[in-house]
Amino acid sequence: MALKILLGPQSPTANLRQAVDSIDAEGPVVVITAGWRDSEGEIEELREDIGRPVEDLMLYQRAEEIFAREPDLLEMKRERQDQLRELQGLYRIRLSPTIAAVRRLMRTRADPKLLLLEQRAAIAQLRALDRHHLRRIMAIHREFDLRRAGIHIPLATAQRDALHRQVEKAGLVLIAGGHVAVLLNRIRLFRLRELLAQKPVIAWSAGAMALSDRIVLFHQKAPQGKSDAEVLDAGLGIVRHRVLLPHARTRLDWNNRRRLALFSRRFAPANCCTLDNGSMIRLQDNRVVSATGSSVLTRTGRSKVLAKQ
Amino acid sequence: MNRLIEKLFREGVPDAGAIDAFMRNNRFPLVEPGQVTFVFRGQADEVHLRRWISGFNTSLPMQALEGTDLWALTMELPGKSRFEYKFEVVRGGDRSLELDALNEVQAHDPFGANSVCQGFGYKRPRWTLQDPDTRCGTLTPLEVDSEAFAGRRDVQVYLPARFRSNRRYPLLVVHDGPDYLRYADFKIVLDNLIHRLEIPAMIVALTQSPDRLVEYTGDPRHARFIAEELLPVLSEKFPLLDNSGSRGLMGASLGGVASLHTASMYPDLFGQLLLQSGSFAFSDLGQHQKGPIFDPVVRFMNAYRKKPFVLAEKVYLSCGIYESLIYENRSLVPVLQAQGMRINFEEARDAHNWENWRDRLRNGLTWLFPGPLWMVYE
Repeated sequence: MALKILLGPQSPTANLRQAVDSIDAEGPVVVITAGWRDSEGEIEELREDIGRPVEDLMLYQRAEEIFAREPDLLEMKRERQDQLRELQGLYRIRLSPTIAAVRRLMRTRADPKLLLLEQRAAIAQLRALDRHHLRRIMAIHREFDLRRAGIHIPLATAQRDALHRQVEKAGLVLIAGGHVAVLLNRIRLFRLRELLAQKPVIAWSAGAMALSDRIVLFHQKAPQGKSDAEVLDAGLGIVRHRVLLPHARTRLDWNNRRRLALFSRRFAPANCCTLDNGSMIRLQDNRVVSATGSSVLTRTGRSKVLAKQ
Repeated sequence: MNRLIEKLFREGVPDAGAIDAFMRNNRFPLVEPGQVTFVFRGQADEVHLRRWISGFNTSLPMQALEGTDLWALTMELPGKSRFEYKFEVVRGGDRSLELDALNEVQAHDPFGANSVCQGFGYKRPRWTLQDPDTRCGTLTPLEVDSEAFAGRRDVQVYLPARFRSNRRYPLLVVHDGPDYLRYADFKIVLDNLIHRLEIPAMIVALTQSPDRLVEYTGDPRHARFIAEELLPVLSEKFPLLDNSGSRGLMGASLGGVASLHTASMYPDLFGQLLLQSGSFAFSDLGQHQKGPIFDPVVRFMNAYRKKPFVLAEKVYLSCGIYESLIYENRSLVPVLQAQGMRINFEEARDAHNWENWRDRLRNGLTWLFPGPLWMVYE
């Protein structure tokens, strides 16, 4: 598998140029900015940053065009989104008390011999719930793919073929951050996973999350509302056994070690890796060949520097 | 007495020049941690502070500062509190209510304006202020023919920036919508919270009533209008998400009652309720003392309290602790909670006014309609 470089947010300072310069790309550079939704394609600043021509694959706009011309496909997509949204709501109903129970057990004082096993069992229940949710999500995706395969949409086929040709010719693919679900859905719609796995890719924030095998939404300091991390979907599975946490510095509650410990234990054996502004993780065949500015959450809720493997 | 005033009088009665300098160099009222001092300058026989704080003597006499035309009053005020006030000035037997000419902070409502006292540490939230970087939504007028009211009703519809007809949006129906726009900067708040991804891009129907003292007090015609007339028109004209969790009702004061009553007549139609300082009057013992306007409210609330049921998935309630309705609101919370609804109740050191309601909007809206911030990692 070709080199993959994962970066944190590109603001306030960008390290994309440094990452691009470190790759000896043979062929044009293309970028996926579908996560920016309506702002997709506004890449002048990005071009200036990296100092070379870049072409935006315009996945979001291509998908919008297909949906506008193919009402049946749009309806199918809406049905799937409704199902996923509803399923996420049902998952939340179970998640909230399950996490509350784990937290309570982690705070409780009791005979350690008794308590330890109860804590482990409660975390196992939480992990089982996450796994169950992911299986249900994948079942909905499979059903959609089956129905989708049954409909011939010439425009979608033409767009997909054009995209595949473009990516095949590219020497380097960049994947920007933004709305992680929108980004992932567009990459899936055009079936780019295999091509991306073979190409050198630099992805940042939501782009990096999309490459991983499990998308975990998190914000422990959201203004109101959700604060328990949620499994949203399976990612592309190109980067495996890592839960990627962009904006970790501002989104995680670093003063609450118990909470961070639970986060880490919930998703183990995957490593929960922070991706902040300035972070860079280079992966070859899913092994870290170098890393700067990234850390891993430990079982005790501390962070340790992500090291080369 | 405030230390700045003490300093002004330290060397005896100050002359007009010293008083002018004192007025020029300070902001009024004089706010310190834990207390506030009001100052009035002018010829008068008596001056009183009239403050809109429930449960307290609303009229407090101010002290004439000897040998000057200054009047002052120092009172206790916890940090970050906010209340509205006026000066009641007596001259030659005539009483008049006057805004504090020394304080430029005012709150407006349909009955006029009041001066606003902001306790130590209070800051108007940034998300209530116009942000030049925020993309703005639009307001579109909509006429709805109503059989329930045998006439036409005007509604304003807020469409978010970058509205697209091929997307689907959550819907929030707001009572006293034009007042929310005018007095609580609701459009600015919506624009900012959507821009910051704290709430999703949503469609907001801003309704108003020509006779809210009747229609918002538990009038079945109003509930029918919202659920059976307005909602179908909105669903036909705009791309709305078709599930109760994506539909909300909101209102303040009697608007809160109208929201709760509509939800009670059409349970599960609106999954989200945002109720601010709701006038949820009830009587457990004997007759209520709130006047005949509240008769239907009390009938509705008593009936609901007797046989409560699930009205919505989530209910956000807020109320100021300086308003009498805090009792009714606190009493409603356990009733709703016992039904299994998710309740978020927020108390504020504030009173029954639009700025209190404005300042709570972020907490209410983001809790009921969490935005894609959760999904966005730039």
